[in-house]
Amino acid sequence: MNSMTRRTSRRLRIAAGLTTLVATGAALTGCASSGSGSGGDADKTSGVTISVVLAYDPPPKATLEEFKKETGITVKWSNVDWDSLQTKIAAAATAKTYFADATDVDWSRVGQLGKLGWFHPMDDYVDVASMKSDMPQLASFQDGGKTVGIPFDASFMVTTANQKMFQDAGISTMPTTIDDYTADLKQIQNKGVSEHPLNIPFAAAEGLSTAWYQTTAAFGGTILDSKGKPQFTSKDSGGYRAASWMVQSLKDGLIAPANINVSDSQGAQTLMAKGVVASTYSDYSGDVGALYNVASSSTVTGQTVYIPTPGVDGPGPNLTNADGIGIPMTAKYPKAAAKFIQWFTSRQKQIDFAGGSGKDKVILGYALPSRVSAVDALNEKGTLDGGEVLASLLKKSKPVFPDGAPSWYPEFSRAVYTNLHAAAAGTMTVDQAIKKIGDTANQLASGS
Amino acid sequence: MTLGLRADGRLVPPGGGRPAVRRRRAADPLPYLLVSPLAIFIIGLALIPAVFTIGAAFFRVDELDPPTRFIGLGNFVRLFQDDAITSSIGNTALYVLIGVVLSTVLGILFAVILQKPFLGRSALIAVLILPWALPGVVEGIIWVNIWDGNTGLLNSVLTTLHVIDHYQVFLGQNQLLTVFLTEVVQVWQITPLSTLLILAGLQNIPAEIYESASIDGASPWGAFWRLTLPLARPGITVAMVQAVIATLNVFDQPFVLNGAAATGSSVTMQTYFVTFQNLDFGEGYALSLLITIATLVISFIVLKLVYRPVEF
Repeated sequence: MNSMTRRTSRRLRIAAGLTTLVATGAALTGCASSGSGSGGDADKTSGVTISVVLAYDPPPKATLEEFKKETGITVKWSNVDWDSLQTKIAAAATAKTYFADATDVDWSRVGQLGKLGWFHPMDDYVDVASMKSDMPQLASFQDGGKTVGIPFDASFMVTTANQKMFQDAGISTMPTTIDDYTADLKQIQNKGVSEHPLNIPFAAAEGLSTAWYQTTAAFGGTILDSKGKPQFTSKDSGGYRAASWMVQSLKDGLIAPANINVSDSQGAQTLMAKGVVASTYSDYSGDVGALYNVASSSTVTGQTVYIPTPGVDGPGPNLTNADGIGIPMTAKYPKAAAKFIQWFTSRQKQIDFAGGSGKDKVILGYALPSRVSAVDALNEKGTLDGGEVLASLLKKSKPVFPDGAPSWYPEFSRAVYTNLHAAAAGTMTVDQAIKKIGDTANQLASGS
Repeated sequence: MTLGLRADGRLVPPGGGRPAVRRRRAADPLPYLLVSPLAIFIIGLALIPAVFTIGAAFFRVDELDPPTRFIGLGNFVRLFQDDAITSSIGNTALYVLIGVVLSTVLGILFAVILQKPFLGRSALIAVLILPWALPGVVEGIIWVNIWDGNTGLLNSVLTTLHVIDHYQVFLGQNQLLTVFLTEVVQVWQITPLSTLLILAGLQNIPAEIYESASIDGASPWGAFWRLTLPLARPGITVAMVQAVIATLNVFDQPFVLNGAAATGSSVTMQTYFVTFQNLDFGEGYALSLLITIATLVISFIVLKLVYRPVEF
């Protein structure tokens, strides 16, 4: 090899190495720059592509195309499971990087998100005041006078019952009080219609917490006061009695012992839809139409109904756990996102998504419109299973925490579901569970 | 240039092979440039975050309680005052013990079965690897249908065989049983990799060694005990270390099968709760650091106890 060839080879080798290095640098720079936050285009409301990330299926393509034609905004929709989504929201907000232009605002996270200022107040973009009368659940999305997100469905807790199983046990009138409800379920059990007729999910997961909140409300109690102090520690409180009734129902066999590992969705999908249980005390609004009356997922089509949730002296209130949508502070196009949210939560779109304008406009699994006017319209059209009961329950539905979910809600909820689960599993008593939940609430409320 | 010939037949440069003044070879930058992308990625995505995590573990980094401030060992103290975390440490210790022992024993067993060629061996290996390729959450969901107390397959089989007269609740009531059954699901996932790692080691053992042993009168059991096991030690070590890492970080299986219940909650689950639900990043960093230290220490112990260099 002569010296010139050697020099050329050496240059080539160095060039190859440098190219690799530069490519790596470019890749890393690309990674870093993809996380840019809002820039000078923040005010653009046309000719942009916004990213919408929800734990929900997207609207039909044609519907999104319609929105694009109307506004010039292209929507890139990502369906991410709820737990992962909360992690992504927290990680992106903490790192102050762009994640989405519009994403999930869960009712239970409103206090936390409000305190952290991770989302744009929707009041800056939409006329929230005009929505209030039509969206009873809007209150659950406000913190410190600011609206963190807009509810796009009206998920609230309802009681569902398999009317046929009640009738098979000789019960013709649906119960309205807890005592009657318990007696009827025992009758169903004694008549051999169902071995374990009551369905309450006792898995250590969020569904157990919400079931307890709903039962507490039915027993006339509240969970926390405006300062976050527990309201359930005395034995005559609604919360204590609710926990006792739930656990006792499991110990008495009204609820299957195996329900200590049943989550809310699993309970609905397998136990209620397959006719294993006669009633789900704290079910999701919309399940009758979206699940129990769908032949491919149910063996009890036409048998289930919503009943006003039995309470101490008559029907109790129904608590909301709606899904909301908001604009993260790091959104690239907040104004365009706001335009999308207005469209997405409009009365007509909600009617479309819930099946009021034909099957081709439906969002799969869409629970129930958050606007009462949309529910009324669906009810009038006769396209909503159990619409009459749902419409009346929605109008009276209440937030779980009238003063907004506290910023420490996730930690509190974890204490609720792990301890109530332990009481159901027999590793602690109801008394011990309630004490632990109360201690956690006191500790969190005091900020220690 | 004219080369001379030395007595030993080697070529020597002009000058009769006098010791030449050794010139310093210019360093070739190519190897460094070629490894630099990997090095940059490792430094940027692993080492720098690791150093950051170690430092931040001594600070109060709580989004709901700003500002960030130095608190020394405060995060670690709070970790050990939290009942949920201390119980999860106990659970995780059991996950590691059960998982490493079971996956290693089964890995050795399957590797020995697959050591010699037979009809359908390749197909069997392909099937064997499937659980390893499945996401943990999917496996959790599959096994929910087996362990479930309402409609589970195990209950159905045991009832049909009259082993039990009514359906039993397997998960959530007894801590040891819950941890064991949950870990069985993870063992199902990690054993294929253990098998392949051990099998790779076994493939290196020359057949002549077994032939010699056979001629010397060694029984199959004796050959396994005195030849296979000692010679497979490097592969077994790697398999055990990967099992330690997997079991110390178990998340999906207990989360899907038993939720956040204290009877099965793992340390990694607690890290998730503390970091992404409570938004207490400082405590999350501290817990992550403890998991890393535990991983290193246990892996080092395994290495010291099991690994022996093998040369053929």
